[in-house]
Amino acid sequence: MIYLDYAATTPLDERAFEAMLPYLRPDGLHGNPASTHGPGFKARAAVERARAQVAALIGAEVPEIIWTSGATESNNLALKGALEFRGLPKAGRAVHVVTSRTEHKCVLDTCRQLETLGVGVTYLKPDRLGFVSPQQVMAAITPDTVLVSLMWVNNEIGVVQDIERLAPLLRERGILFHVDAAQAAGKLSINLETTPVDLLSLSAHKLYGPKGVGALFVRRKPRARLAPQMHGGGHEQGMRSGTLATHQIVGMGAAFDIAVGDFERDVTHFAGLRDALWARLRNLPGVHRNGPDGSAGQAAAPHLLNLSFEGVEGEALRASLPEIAVSSGSACSSATAEPSYVLRSLGRDDELANASLRFSFGRRTTMADIETVAGKIIRQVQWLRGLSPLWKP
Amino acid sequence: MNTEVEDSDDNPFGYALHVWRLFNAAPRAGEFIAETPGVVSGQAGTPAARSVLRLQLQFAHGVVADARFRAYGCPTSIAVGAWIAEWAQGKAAEELAALTAKRLRSELEIPDDRAHCALLGEDALRAALAHLKQEKT
Repeated sequence: MIYLDYAATTPLDERAFEAMLPYLRPDGLHGNPASTHGPGFKARAAVERARAQVAALIGAEVPEIIWTSGATESNNLALKGALEFRGLPKAGRAVHVVTSRTEHKCVLDTCRQLETLGVGVTYLKPDRLGFVSPQQVMAAITPDTVLVSLMWVNNEIGVVQDIERLAPLLRERGILFHVDAAQAAGKLSINLETTPVDLLSLSAHKLYGPKGVGALFVRRKPRARLAPQMHGGGHEQGMRSGTLATHQIVGMGAAFDIAVGDFERDVTHFAGLRDALWARLRNLPGVHRNGPDGSAGQAAAPHLLNLSFEGVEGEALRASLPEIAVSSGSACSSATAEPSYVLRSLGRDDELANASLRFSFGRRTTMADIETVAGKIIRQVQWLRGLSPLWKP
Repeated sequence: MNTEVEDSDDNPFGYALHVWRLFNAAPRAGEFIAETPGVVSGQAGTPAARSVLRLQLQFAHGVVADARFRAYGCPTSIAVGAWIAEWAQGKAAEELAALTAKRLRSELEIPDDRAHCALLGEDALRAALAHLKQEKT
């Protein structure tokens, strides 16, 4: 089995695993970080060390990191919390949010929920490569706009939005800017000291940390204020109550610390694998790359490659590659289900959106893996096309 | 549910074993050379629905002497094409006409959410038999 689905999740880094163990052992450091005694203080120190490690990867101040259960919770807290803190929506006052059609479902579904409460939401349509330009965002701003939410790196196609150019424009207008950086952390250089984003979501398990933990960056100057969505003991500066999962947090901190140290090597490795696979597969007729290619003006994340294959059905393509773990754009449970909404938003027709594969690369992926995968895909696409009554070579 | 399928590393998607084997082996895939005598074709499905099945039956002495299929679609629809092409061997038109989507679902353990694949098979076979009838009249 060759695993090429690192954008879905990564294995836990061995070093992060080792760092977590003392907090999991029955005879280990089990204290509650909120307790005011020896074991509690030890756990608290570990949590704060991890907070500094996470902050370091994105150029944040340590108290700007709020622990959550993952990026889905971070995105929910950012959007709902920011609007609720401002007392919105209020009877008699229009409230407007700008986002894009290709956001992760947890942002889109949160926006839909906000719509049911009376919030107006503009879902921007990206261009054919997936870009939402800063000009497009600014043109959608109305006097009622209070928040813009965009993902830095799209999880399906790897398009990198120009957050660094957009953030100062929104700051000038006093509009809160939330960025989902679950796929960007460790893949792009992020410096929130110089990029005036207000809220930024992070996930541990996309970056060799454990599942079940994430963080939300909440800027202190100027202060981005949130109403808590989880009420309880007033943990995390009152923004997110609940006993902190020390072992998970320590794992996330260790993973982010490793990502700081390995950043250059990781990015070079991932981009090399991506380019090598594309160089092999582009020779096959009828293959389309979804999203930008990483050249000038086409900013792309290094770890993702999304391709559509003409003349094959998506589920059959995936099923013909049982030895490769890869994400498919096919809607495989029913003939009527929609294929990837992200690819459809780029203007891909249903057939090409369905017949797509997302390859994502990780630290353990080798060039030999890429060679094996390329060979298998070429053979299987040709075999399925040979079966089809429609394919005309 | 065939537990052997679920536990098999070779079938991580949990298809019924029969479907999985027919999909991978795709016996009788292909088509007859143009103008082969006694061949009737039937096609069903649309590219928009992402499933198209074409069946070719070669009749000799009133029964199917050989059959071929081509399919564009999910593994289940490919398996349906392969199964019909195999099953049709030696059968007369009346026996072929008795094949229903229900029987296909039962033979291949096709679940509810794939019922359309069985209908595709029934429709393609009916289309071929309609052409046979046209040729006779």
